[in-house]
Amino acid sequence: MRRANVISGVVLVLFGLVTVFAIIPWQIDPAPEGFVSPRLLPTLMMGVVIALSALLAFNNRRAGVADDPDAERNPISRSEIMALVKIGAVFTIALGFYLAVSPPAAGAALIVGALLALGERRPLVLVLMPTAFLLVLWAVFYKILGTAIL
Amino acid sequence: MEHLIVGFRDVLDPLTLMWVTVGVTLGYVLGALPGLGKATGVAVSIPLTFYLQPVAALGLLIGIAKGSAAGSAVSAILLNTPGEPSSAPTALDGYPLARQGKAQKALKMGLYASVIGDFVSTLILILLAAPLARYALLIGPVELCAILFYSLAFIGSLSGASMIKGLIAGALGVFFATVGLETETFIPRMTFGLLELNDGISLVPLAIGMLAVAEMVVQAGNLKTLDRETRAMADGTSREDRTVLASEWRRCLPVIARGTLIGSVVGILPGLGASVGSFLSYGATRRASKTPEKFGTGMIEGIAAAESADNAVVPSSLVPLFALGIPGSVIAAILIAAFVLHGLTPGPLMFKQQPRLVADVYAAMLCASFILLAVGYFGQSVFARIIQVPLRLIIPGVLLLCCIGAYMETSSVFSIYVMLAFALIGFFARKLDFSFVTFLIGFVIGPNLELSFRQSIQILDHQILNLRSHPIAIAFIVLTAVTIWLIGRGRTRKPYRTPERAGTASISAEAEYQPPSTGRNNR
Repeated sequence: MRRANVISGVVLVLFGLVTVFAIIPWQIDPAPEGFVSPRLLPTLMMGVVIALSALLAFNNRRAGVADDPDAERNPISRSEIMALVKIGAVFTIALGFYLAVSPPAAGAALIVGALLALGERRPLVLVLMPTAFLLVLWAVFYKILGTAIL
Repeated sequence: MEHLIVGFRDVLDPLTLMWVTVGVTLGYVLGALPGLGKATGVAVSIPLTFYLQPVAALGLLIGIAKGSAAGSAVSAILLNTPGEPSSAPTALDGYPLARQGKAQKALKMGLYASVIGDFVSTLILILLAAPLARYALLIGPVELCAILFYSLAFIGSLSGASMIKGLIAGALGVFFATVGLETETFIPRMTFGLLELNDGISLVPLAIGMLAVAEMVVQAGNLKTLDRETRAMADGTSREDRTVLASEWRRCLPVIARGTLIGSVVGILPGLGASVGSFLSYGATRRASKTPEKFGTGMIEGIAAAESADNAVVPSSLVPLFALGIPGSVIAAILIAAFVLHGLTPGPLMFKQQPRLVADVYAAMLCASFILLAVGYFGQSVFARIIQVPLRLIIPGVLLLCCIGAYMETSSVFSIYVMLAFALIGFFARKLDFSFVTFLIGFVIGPNLELSFRQSIQILDHQILNLRSHPIAIAFIVLTAVTIWLIGRGRTRKPYRTPERAGTASISAEAEYQPPSTGRNNR
């Protein structure tokens, strides 16, 4: 965890510095005369983030790994990274269906894609689940609540 | 009192009552499913309430929050896998009882303790919030700014294993709240030319992404472990072990009373959360017992202590929200969005401006307690079957609901992009132990914090020495410094310990704070 803390601390310091010196001046215009600057609070908060992140990285770097058997442990397991990639891919495909085909097709793609990504292979489940979900949603919104959501 | 009678008249309308029942039932099921806690349930359900009457909508969401707090005991007892971390102490004695064939008895005691804790805590909310709000109205911008800073620092310091990470999360939350048009000058801030960001980042897709989608990804990464524990569920109960005996009631009632008191006090203090309440109550009961060595082997008092405190936290955590407008917990932060959507802005003024709607909320909360008893009593065996459904069949449906929830607020696919972006942030925040609870609370109080900060600068005429005429603000600034110093010193003396699991509650991370006495090893 210590190694992860050092890395996350450094990443946050870099993010903070880029935000303070590039994004805030680029994205927030100076205030008119007599007003409190709209840059004030974002800059202050980023200042806090930079200072604390530097402290986080420094503390964990200084503590070293010798006295902590867990120091090198990766807090994110391989299976979690795989799940993140798979579900990210499923969302990408579903959004593609939304933009290119139709929202119901995107909904069906999301459910079928997620089922496949999580290891479900039974054809009946792959057909019935998206059908049932979309029908229930249609009934709830269009019939019970009486409102169109698309 | 007359408002409360009107409130009951509104809530006892059959349609409203039906929505409260739907909420409690849905919440109970969500709570019973490991990883799908009350925060996820409420966040996903907010958009579904857009088209309901305010009373029905708020009743539905309150029902979900209350139902899931009670439902989390089901998986804790039957699977040794708490639906939420706050039910981890319930598993310590509930699971051994289930293995002894006394699952029904354990489930019933869990339910009764939950309902009593919840009901009494709701009464405390009703009695405390309005009088506190009257004092809150005397507070000016300078004092409010100091109180908000203190609350954020306090919550950030206590959330997660690292105080530094908690404070970073809080600062990032406030930072993201500044995106959009600035309220005084109308200068766009960090919108990157996107019109959708002019109104700022919307709370609903942000909360759904950080809480629900990120949680589903983590669950998907631990699918095999969770499904294995589901299959290993203990079964078989004999008839005489299904009821709570009179002798057990006599032993448990004082325990429930103590648990309710502890839970209510913990709930009122911002940032502590249900996990602290349930662990403290369990610990206090164990210390007070004549046979502390038997705890962990199937003592019914353990369940009563944990569940009464766990459920007492939910209503009392609304006290700072209603009295001061400060969300003390993640559930309160999410409920703010729902309250505002339905015309009730939490804070001291709501008691003057919307007394009827406040009374409706109170009446809905009290009714939800009774509905919780009925739903839990008659539906327990059904819910016990639902939690056996493999997670790979649950996650796709939840992901679809998340998309619909995010989409509905703006009817724009941009909200789904926001949801996905914050799901990624939420995933890494969970895994790297940055408190997403503090982030959310920072995000929610951000606009108020900025407004009061700007007003304070003008009131103080840019001179910090002018603070001398604001002793309350000085007191809170000193309190902030002392709190950070004390908690920081405590953390330095008690170094971070690696969690050893009891069940898979460590996967779900809504309540991240670990009480020092019990540490992470009970999660």
